[in-house]
Amino acid sequence: MIPEQLRKSLEARVAHAFSAREAAVDVMKDLQFHYGWLTDEAVGEAAEILGLSRLQVEELATFYEMIYRRPVGNKMIHICDSISCWNAGYEKILDHLKARLGVEVGGTTADGQFTLVPCCCMGRCGDGPLISIGSTIYDHLTPELVDQALEIERLSGTAAPDHKGQA
Amino acid sequence: MPKLIIDNLPVEVAPGTTVLEAARSIGITIPHFCYHPALALASACRLCAVKMLDGPVKGIQMSCSLPAQDGMVVSTTDPEALKMRALVIEWLMMNHPHDCPVCDEGGECLLQDFTIAGGHSRRRYQGDKRTHRNQYLGEHVYHEMNRCIQCYRCVRFYQDYAGGTDFGVTGSAGRVYFGRFEDGPLESPFSGNLVDICPTGVFTDKTGRYRARYWDYQFSPSICQHCSVGCNLAPQAFQREVIKIVGRRNDQVNSWFICDRARFDKKGINDPSRPREPKVDGEATDYETALDALAARIYDFLEVHGPESLAFVGSSRLSLEGCLMLGELAANFEAAALSFYGDPAEAKGSQFATELLTEQNVAAPADLASADCIVLLSVDLMNEGPMLAPFIRKASLTGTKVYRVDAPALPSEQRLPFDCLDAATLAEVPLETASRAIVVCHAARTPHEELAPLAAKGVRLAVLQPGPNGFAAGLAARKHGAVPFAEVLAAKKVRGIVAFESDLSAANLKGVTVLGCADWRTSELAQKAGVFLPTTTWMESTGTSINFEGRAQRFERTFRPGLPLRGLDAKYYAQSRYGEPAPGQPEVPPPQPPRIPRGEIPGGQEIEAWKAMARLLEKLGGEPIVEPLTGSWRPLREMDPEAGGERIFGLFKSSEPDTL
Ligand code: SF4
Ligand code: SF4
Ligand code: FES
Ligand code: FES
Repeated sequence: MIPEQLRKSLEARVAHAFSAREAAVDVMKDLQFHYGWLTDEAVGEAAEILGLSRLQVEELATFYEMIYRRPVGNKMIHICDSISCWNAGYEKILDHLKARLGVEVGGTTADGQFTLVPCCCMGRCGDGPLISIGSTIYDHLTPELVDQALEIERLSGTAAPDHKGQA
Repeated sequence: MPKLIIDNLPVEVAPGTTVLEAARSIGITIPHFCYHPALALASACRLCAVKMLDGPVKGIQMSCSLPAQDGMVVSTTDPEALKMRALVIEWLMMNHPHDCPVCDEGGECLLQDFTIAGGHSRRRYQGDKRTHRNQYLGEHVYHEMNRCIQCYRCVRFYQDYAGGTDFGVTGSAGRVYFGRFEDGPLESPFSGNLVDICPTGVFTDKTGRYRARYWDYQFSPSICQHCSVGCNLAPQAFQREVIKIVGRRNDQVNSWFICDRARFDKKGINDPSRPREPKVDGEATDYETALDALAARIYDFLEVHGPESLAFVGSSRLSLEGCLMLGELAANFEAAALSFYGDPAEAKGSQFATELLTEQNVAAPADLASADCIVLLSVDLMNEGPMLAPFIRKASLTGTKVYRVDAPALPSEQRLPFDCLDAATLAEVPLETASRAIVVCHAARTPHEELAPLAAKGVRLAVLQPGPNGFAAGLAARKHGAVPFAEVLAAKKVRGIVAFESDLSAANLKGVTVLGCADWRTSELAQKAGVFLPTTTWMESTGTSINFEGRAQRFERTFRPGLPLRGLDAKYYAQSRYGEPAPGQPEVPPPQPPRIPRGEIPGGQEIEAWKAMARLLEKLGGEPIVEPLTGSWRPLREMDPEAGGERIFGLFKSSEPDTL
């Protein structure tokens, strides 16, 4: 259940949209912020607010890379596995990340800090291989730079995790 | 009109035609999956490559989404195009489970056809295949997602065309999944079309899986007899059993699709307890004896009670031939009554629609798609004419307002797949400002006084009939002066009836003898009848049916009537080479059909209702009749069942019922 105030603000957002679908991403993001991930309950609430069926919300939710339909850690690590980063040697970075975090792709670290997922191109193809942690992009990576990045992100703590934010 | 050259053949097509359609018009099929004439373009599969040799665009192009233009020179056989198509099909087949032998689509699968046509015959990919979990989609449609090639036809049909909301596409890239939010029955009343529209075996008809292959089926062009829309379809029968029913194209009536009732409701036809034998006083006999008995009983009855006590009762289930013949039969006894409907409102409404409608004021289902104002007037659309809904949806999506006036309360699952506004009365609808307005109503529910002025104002009408062939019944009723059976009963003169495929309830027949009853359904009326005559269903008959818009359509016999081989009683095997069962052993049918040639099909004595009427008429002293479509109806005899049907308004002067 979402607080009445959140529901009201989402309804207002939808009322201003040209079509319900236009507001769908905003609604899903806010619900994700509230719950930590887009729970089944949240899908139902989004459907109600948007006047769509749950399936129609699911269609959008599963299309977008940054809407999470499963519980995730505090910070999301997206690793680009698209063609330029692949050419630039993304696999080495991926292997290193998996070893450091002790997770497979899609997994969350034991301390709940990070979830590692692939993503298809961040539009910085000349700077690969690259990852994003939260909303920060780390490019031209080497295994050493990955370690540094993880260190920075660990230290910056868990307050207001980005993927749950309104970004 | 663009002129282009395709494979050295010049062709001229209407503006807006695509290269794929232009090729099709001269008999060249370019392999395609996502393209479907009834759906919006997706260009999702990339299979339809051709090479443009000259003209405004050059090189490899997707023919399904390329509008034909002047000066184009197209090759569908250029090595580069062939290579492209072979690679695309190889890629689409990469994750396919290669399970054709256990796939119910096998043999009628576009993917099989175009894989072969595309030149992909050897698998090179050795990696793992992506797999999906299937969903339970209800008792009608079976889901096998691994066979999907991501053409998006299903979702474009289900959501865009039919307005369903509980099925769609989730995920992205290599993970797209076509299904529901969670397991559960598909909600759309058009869900069965997924089976037809999916080019591969993702959706198969659960009610007929693993019974037969495409080449085993008996097929014929037929017409749905569940409501008066008259959708075109083709039953697929195997060993005297309807296994599946698929949609058949008629652009004016149903496009390519049929509703789920038409597709999945096969019970009545395959019903093992269907009455198969003629009976006299409950004793099985042959047809000739039963007809003799009925004729004799009618004579005896007339002796005692006189013709004014006799009524011939039919229904809108009869074919046009049946309706006309029943009229002839009743006319044989001047004072005898004739009824097609029990309810006076249905009888009057049905008849009135045949008087009012003309070529000019009638609306075909497809006309709804281009209407600029649509009114649903006291009609339960999803029950009484479901296939009109997608056309109305199409209009609604382009901005046409749909008004619901005096709507009968709908059960909640009967959601209309388009937006509509409620209006209390017809007067509230701004019909004057529309130039292509259509009112959809039901013959039994809309008063005549309301319809005639609408037609006079130039509004076109879709008047749904109380039964599948109501229009024909209405015409025959006019010609022969039929009366609603409720009025026949109220006059208290009738003492005996002869019923043909009638839906009368036996309950109100106190003091009335059912001399004879002909039907393919079991009914109380049949139980009460002195003489029972089994008739064929529409799938086992050839005949004509007239839909609500006065469109006569021919249906052809799909299979000969008789007991289905499956579950055939052991007694029919007695003469087979398996011999009599050993003493003390139960009569178990051997696993194979009988091997002894028989002159007759077990349980196959049924004949078309009109033929039973004609033979009865002959026994009652009438002329032998071999062809029921005579006089004005003659032109319908040669009608091509695949040519879309013909409106009947030109056949006779509607103002003079005698010429009908
Ligand atoms: S399920 Fe069938 S119709 Fe739907 S995308 Fe896959 S192959 Fe096409
Ligand atoms: S709309 Fe009526 S005629 Fe058409 S398929 Fe459905 S039941 Fe049959
Ligand atoms: S390919 Fe990695 S950012 Fe574009
Ligand atoms: S048929 Fe042209 S891309 Fe699918």
